[in-house]
Amino acid sequence: MENQTNVDELSYREASTELEHIIRNLESGDMELEASLKSYTRGVELLRSLRGRLADAEQKVSVLMADIDGNDVLQPADAASTEDKPSFL
Amino acid sequence: MEGWNLTGTSSGSFIDFANAMADSEAAGQSAAGKDTDALSVSQAVEIAANALDAIPQLTVIGEVTGFRGPNARSGHCYFQIKDDSSAVDCKIWRGVYLKRAFDLRDGLQVQFTGSFDLYKPTGRMSFIARSFSLAGEGLLRQQVAALAEKLRREGLMDETRKRHVPVFCNRVAVVTSLSGAVIDDVKRTLRRRNPLVELICVGAKVQGEGAPAELIEALRRAAAIEPAPDCILLVRGGGSFEDLMTFNDECLARAVASCPVPVVTGIGHEPDTSICDMVSDRRCSTPTAAAESVAPALADLVEVTSTRERRLANAMNVRLAAAQDALGNDLQRVQRAMDARLERIRLTLEAAAARPCLTDPTVIVDRRRVELSQTAERLDAAIEHAHKRFAQQLELVTPRLRGATAGFSKKRHALELSTSQLRHVGASLLNAPHSQLASSAAALDALSPLKVLARGYSIAYAPTGVLTSIADARPDDEVRIALADGNVRARVTSVEAADNLNVDAADPAN
Repeated sequence: MENQTNVDELSYREASTELEHIIRNLESGDMELEASLKSYTRGVELLRSLRGRLADAEQKVSVLMADIDGNDVLQPADAASTEDKPSFL
Repeated sequence: MEGWNLTGTSSGSFIDFANAMADSEAAGQSAAGKDTDALSVSQAVEIAANALDAIPQLTVIGEVTGFRGPNARSGHCYFQIKDDSSAVDCKIWRGVYLKRAFDLRDGLQVQFTGSFDLYKPTGRMSFIARSFSLAGEGLLRQQVAALAEKLRREGLMDETRKRHVPVFCNRVAVVTSLSGAVIDDVKRTLRRRNPLVELICVGAKVQGEGAPAELIEALRRAAAIEPAPDCILLVRGGGSFEDLMTFNDECLARAVASCPVPVVTGIGHEPDTSICDMVSDRRCSTPTAAAESVAPALADLVEVTSTRERRLANAMNVRLAAAQDALGNDLQRVQRAMDARLERIRLTLEAAAARPCLTDPTVIVDRRRVELSQTAERLDAAIEHAHKRFAQQLELVTPRLRGATAGFSKKRHALELSTSQLRHVGASLLNAPHSQLASSAAALDALSPLKVLARGYSIAYAPTGVLTSIADARPDDEVRIALADGNVRARVTSVEAADNLNVDAADPAN
């Protein structure tokens, strides 16, 4: 409950893990009512965020390249082509 | 007889053999063959045998075929070695085969060192191998197997040292060739399966000279990415055994095993297993399978999320219902407790209200009044009674008092008479003693020493008494001389007898 990070800053896995944790705690039923309400609110927030991410998921691809100084930097790259799907969809 | 048989059954072979010989060094012999001086089969075979013996020791590489193991009786091995266009019988004597480093079997590429030999009874030529070793892929496979065994002994393949690859990897580094189809496969697979997975492509050569070094460097760079990826996919498409040999490189295998980030391998196709596969944290049969293994499918996530939504709502409802129940119970308890308390207070109050002091306060005064009047009555009666008693007693005492004082005047008269008689008698009684006493006093006054002293005499007292003799006085004794008007105290200076009597000589002491 403490030091909650902003939901959008969590990775999908972190958010998902936290949600599962919250649900288990709620299901165990030995939480204070206030705490459970707080948990529930957080859970709904996480759920909304996760749903949103699933709905708008876009593949992010980058390539690790050495720059002029020889340092590795991430360069955005094209996502996989969608050619395997019919174009009319 | 054997010759005939041999000629009859093996003529084809013989002609082939003869033709073969014709192509080689024995060409001259063949040209010399004429009907008139024809050779017997034995002679011809002899010539051929000699020609074969003249060939120096050879090293031949070929594939083993028709191998049925050592002969049960002799222990020798009979089989063929072949390549794409030719084949030759091959024999390995028992002693040689016993010293082998590996078992021969069909399909093996083997390097045989030995020489040709012609078995004269059948005229069949064979290659007698004096030693043999694996060649080509066979050799490579043997080396790979040895390396695998070595790494296994070191514990690099222990299940216990394999790291956990997260079920859902957010960030995945893909180490492979950026030019091949594999990288696209991985991207497309994950795009379809779970686009939430962020891919970072790290390019490296996957076959040929320098490929292991590039892959090792790529693994290092991938592991150094900030923030660190959840896992590294080390993938390569299918290829020949030699193509995949890069992934059997010892240095690369060690780099995979020691990589700080879990490594998932997908190298080649289904049956291919490289050493990198064996030492990685998760082995998948193909690049696509490897990509699929790093994250759950989006559809599954949607379902999981829906399930969680239901669970969350359900859990909250249950929790709320429980809270409500608890609240209801508490409310009931409070109400019951309050009711009971109120009832107790009410009863106490009623009991108090029912007491006579409150219902009829005059009772108290009335009772006191009754008590008071009773007391007053008692007081009246008592006073009356006492009065009567005292009056009665007084009446009784009066005659007694009167009776008691009746003889008083007679007694007083007698007393007065007695008094005058007593006075009279008393005075007469004193007359005689009185005159006697007066005469005695006159006599006594005449005899008083004081009268003598008044005439100039004195009395001397020593400590022992009145000095009447010189015997009673000693020098230095203190004496008192009584005179008529007082005393003189003196000290005796001397005592003298009467013949020298001089009263005036006595010195007063003081």
